[in-house]
Amino acid sequence: MARLELSNLHAEVAEGDEKILEGVDLEVESGEIHALMGPNGSGKSTTAKVIAGHPAYEVTEGEVLLHLEDEEFGEDIEIDEDQRTWDLLDLEPNERAALGIFLGFQYPAEIEGVTMTNFLRTALNAKIEEREELFEEEEGEDEEEEDEGFESSPMEGPADEGEVGVAEFQQILQEKMEQLEMDEKFAQRYLNAGFSGGEKKQNEVLQAAILEPSIAVLDEIDSGLDIDRLQDVSNGINALRDEQGTGILQITHYQRILDYVEPDHVHVMLDGQIAKSGGPELAEKLEDKGYDWVREDVYGTA
Amino acid sequence: MSAGTQVHANLTEEQVREISGDLDEPDWLLETRLEALEALEELDMPDVIKTPGREWTNLHELDFESLVDPLNAAENKDQVGPDEADVLSWADAVQEHEELLQEHFGSIVDTQENYLTALSTALFSTGTVIYVPEGVDAEDVTVRTEQNSRSLFNYTLVVTEESSSVTILERQSTGEEAEEQYYSGVVEVAAGENSYVQYGSLQNLSEEAYNFTVKRGVADTYATIDWIEGNLGTQLTKTEVSTTLSGDSSETQIVGAFYGHNDQHFDLDAKVWHRAEHTTADLVTRGVTDDVARSVYEGVQDVGADAWDTSSYQRENTLMLSDESEADASPKLIINNHDTEASHSATVGQIDAEDLFYMTSRGVDPRSARNMLVEGFFVPVLEEIDVDELRDDLEELIGARLRQRD
Repeated sequence: MARLELSNLHAEVAEGDEKILEGVDLEVESGEIHALMGPNGSGKSTTAKVIAGHPAYEVTEGEVLLHLEDEEFGEDIEIDEDQRTWDLLDLEPNERAALGIFLGFQYPAEIEGVTMTNFLRTALNAKIEEREELFEEEEGEDEEEEDEGFESSPMEGPADEGEVGVAEFQQILQEKMEQLEMDEKFAQRYLNAGFSGGEKKQNEVLQAAILEPSIAVLDEIDSGLDIDRLQDVSNGINALRDEQGTGILQITHYQRILDYVEPDHVHVMLDGQIAKSGGPELAEKLEDKGYDWVREDVYGTA
Repeated sequence: MSAGTQVHANLTEEQVREISGDLDEPDWLLETRLEALEALEELDMPDVIKTPGREWTNLHELDFESLVDPLNAAENKDQVGPDEADVLSWADAVQEHEELLQEHFGSIVDTQENYLTALSTALFSTGTVIYVPEGVDAEDVTVRTEQNSRSLFNYTLVVTEESSSVTILERQSTGEEAEEQYYSGVVEVAAGENSYVQYGSLQNLSEEAYNFTVKRGVADTYATIDWIEGNLGTQLTKTEVSTTLSGDSSETQIVGAFYGHNDQHFDLDAKVWHRAEHTTADLVTRGVTDDVARSVYEGVQDVGADAWDTSSYQRENTLMLSDESEADASPKLIINNHDTEASHSATVGQIDAEDLFYMTSRGVDPRSARNMLVEGFFVPVLEEIDVDELRDDLEELIGARLRQRD
């Protein structure tokens, strides 16, 4: 079980003092799907980037906490009840990823010369390694000494035991690609380079499926998709929730994807704050009536 | 006293006579050397890139007086090739192929083009001659030079006859290091009709060394000359790789890769002269500068008036890994024939912050992410290299240098 908590989150652009987030409160748990909606410029993407640790934004107030329960740590690790919460703002982007935060990008970078296979295997192994380090710190020094004892034991196996090897990874990748109905040629292509908009989005979902995050923040993953691709991407997102218990924060402009990925909660963002929250019916109302009524409702002005 | 001896207090006609005599060279060659020595006084350094207020490569500051030690050249050399082709040391070539030398030596690179070519002509004491007879396919010619002396002057001649082919892999490295060393290399390639020459070079000299290299080829009808130019070593490299497409339907490709760190300085030229019909050229260079390293690249595509139906492409990209490193790129297109398809582009930039964030947000630590991006940056150039050995070596050297970084 994992829980992501944003409380009173304020952020501005790091270079300059343009305020973008002005007190965001939000809670996403494993297995839940939250839709975050709102007009352009309301702060949705910034919220996503701040959660993941984008260096262009500076958090001026508030907290981003990630709470993990036992099953999130793996069998070998026991962590005291009071040490299961991480303040993400103290951590680097790769450390946040290791704890199970995934950001699906609206415009994924195109990385020349780095194959999908190579990148994803590196990311997966980096996650495993980084988690060990993060959890060891929490475990305290006694445990570390015990580990050192094991390291010299001939029963322990190679130092990089636990790493996902090339062959093993190929199998994982192939399996996940089949599930998402992706062409296997993608595996040897360079990361997003020359991918169509739809292929990029599908690739984002594939990466989430492989990295198995606790919480996935998907930033307008539905934009620019034809109906077939939208269904594939939606199936992938539902599988994340159903099979891995991932908690999903789905950022979108439109009701369209919510027909396929049914949200448990819908939030409307206006001017850097969550202005209104509700169930799936809220999204339908937004589709019909736009955002102005929310503004009127909350602020008393249009 | 001749004019030459006035230029350099420690360079004398007697030394040149001794070098030539030790190699048992014919008189015409000795004369060529002596004329080059004498010309030194009149000659200037090779041209370098100038941007307003700045001459990027200052060759005048080099103290050739102390760098050049002509009678104490020492090296460790491998010259290997298949039986069907002649791969000869300079001394053997002088004995076995005098006519070939007389025809080609100095025919492509003017021995008195500038101070450094003349110095090289007067003083070279080692070299390789590769002669590929008609119809022979000569794979895997390897020339490895390990410099063990203060200065080393090297000369290479490649001659391919009609419908032959050759793949040459040249490596330059430093064996015994001195405080400062000077390596000079002149390469001439005469590609006969319908022949194919691939000349790959990997320069990994000591980072205390200075390097001056000029590699030039002339391609006859239907001939192809492909160059691969890898530069990793030296504190200063001034190099030019160029092809003259003198025969109809001749082709050339110049692929370059460099990686400068610490205070290394690379001055790299890639040039093609379209001088016949239906000729094709593709110039691709990618490099990295780190720390306080500098690179300056000049690329020239010159399409002559008679070069009908020309295709000519040039791309150069430099990635700066530090704020203090510098790079300048100057691609030039000179077109004197309207029936030409040509393009050129050059970029100088840093690692993209969004690319880096994308990778770190997926769990890859910043250092590994950056290394993957740099290795990926070189891939389009590495993909152009057909010689597996050269590509693997280059990849390995780039990787090793990246891992050295903090």
